[in-house]
Amino acid sequence: MLRAIDVPQSTAEALASLARARDAHLIGGGTLVMPRVQAGTSGIGALVSLSKLKLDRITVKGDKVTIGAATTLAAIGAERALAFLHPAIESVGSPTLRNLATIGGNLFTEQPYGDIAVCLLALDAAATVVGKRGVRKIPVAEILKQGIGRDTIVTAISFNKPEKGTWFYRKAMRRAANSASIVTIAAHLPLKKGRIAGARVALGGCGEKPIRASQAEVAFEGEKRDADSVAKAGALLAKDAKPFTDAYASAWYRGRVLPVHFRRAILGE
Amino acid sequence: MPSTIVNLKVNGAAREFLTRPGTTMLDALRDSLSLTAAKKGCAQGTCGTCTVLLDGKTVFSCLVLVETISGASVETLEGLAVGDTLHPLQQTFIDLFATQCGFCSSGMIMAAKGLLARNVNPSRDDVVRAISGNVCRCTGYESIIDAILAAAARMTKSASSRKRAAE
Repeated sequence: MLRAIDVPQSTAEALASLARARDAHLIGGGTLVMPRVQAGTSGIGALVSLSKLKLDRITVKGDKVTIGAATTLAAIGAERALAFLHPAIESVGSPTLRNLATIGGNLFTEQPYGDIAVCLLALDAAATVVGKRGVRKIPVAEILKQGIGRDTIVTAISFNKPEKGTWFYRKAMRRAANSASIVTIAAHLPLKKGRIAGARVALGGCGEKPIRASQAEVAFEGEKRDADSVAKAGALLAKDAKPFTDAYASAWYRGRVLPVHFRRAILGE
Repeated sequence: MPSTIVNLKVNGAAREFLTRPGTTMLDALRDSLSLTAAKKGCAQGTCGTCTVLLDGKTVFSCLVLVETISGASVETLEGLAVGDTLHPLQQTFIDLFATQCGFCSSGMIMAAKGLLARNVNPSRDDVVRAISGNVCRCTGYESIIDAILAAAARMTKSASSRKRAAE
């Protein structure tokens, strides 16, 4: 049962509000928190809204991108400078959901949801957080692995825009729109003199949280981006992936189709 | 548990009401403002029956805390008809049998209205995507998609005939 809804006007107020009650919880777009609240078993007594903190700005300067944590997926989907992310955005929920769901919230859902978090992991994105220790910048990878302290707020996400032709994304779904992930693949494969250098491959549907396919990344290093290297890297995905069984697909099925969708993602088949 | 006063512009009219902490926009519309077109299906943001327009954008009103949107403008199905004249979307839903039990219709029509506000000439695929957050267990969707496309065509036609009349 909710006792209080706070709509703070500054992050300092929001932090104070969070600190006042042990059962206080942040709310952004509400697409993750509200279903829990409405189910009546969340244990959340107070909600602290991010809606008036002006955390909804997108700044693109050259290849440096900063997105406020409360920016909706719809707003990112409408930003021309972020066209490379649009297929990923459009693979999440429905347009109506994307008018509420925020990029910051995407870090705090469990798979098979959270496709944007998979992308942010592949982009080596950083999160700006504010808390008792002031403002810090930490890798999104760290938040996905360990979460953040309960008196901490993610205020922005930043990353470098990948060069044209180096970004790959594919999500296998039960139907063409508005479905959770069977497997999601996001990869940044930059080339140096025609060879892959600094590969980052992230997977969804292969663990509670998005994970890196480290073995596949190593296999890519120094190789040409072609059917051979993709086959070699694809065969190593199983070393890192821990696919699971849920209503959408079995662990066996996820593991079986992962290299196929990986190949299709990168070779554009 | 102190109640707070919320101000909203609902279907063009200023409304003010008291609300208890944690009230969703859906419950406020239904219980405080007696606007019952938006339905409570899942209360999880999954079924789409509660779809309304918030500052011109489609949202699931069951996921929005009404205290966080004070001052906003909300459109519901009740605001669509002008007197006894139905909105083209309402009329084509009747003409093309796009409604059976009717539970999803309000949400479907508002999702379609949100689409037509930004895209006056949508493709079939645009329509499918726009209503992908709305579940219908009766019609099989095809008649709904047909009705939305027909409404878009009627609205474009009447807009161009108005333009011709003005010239």
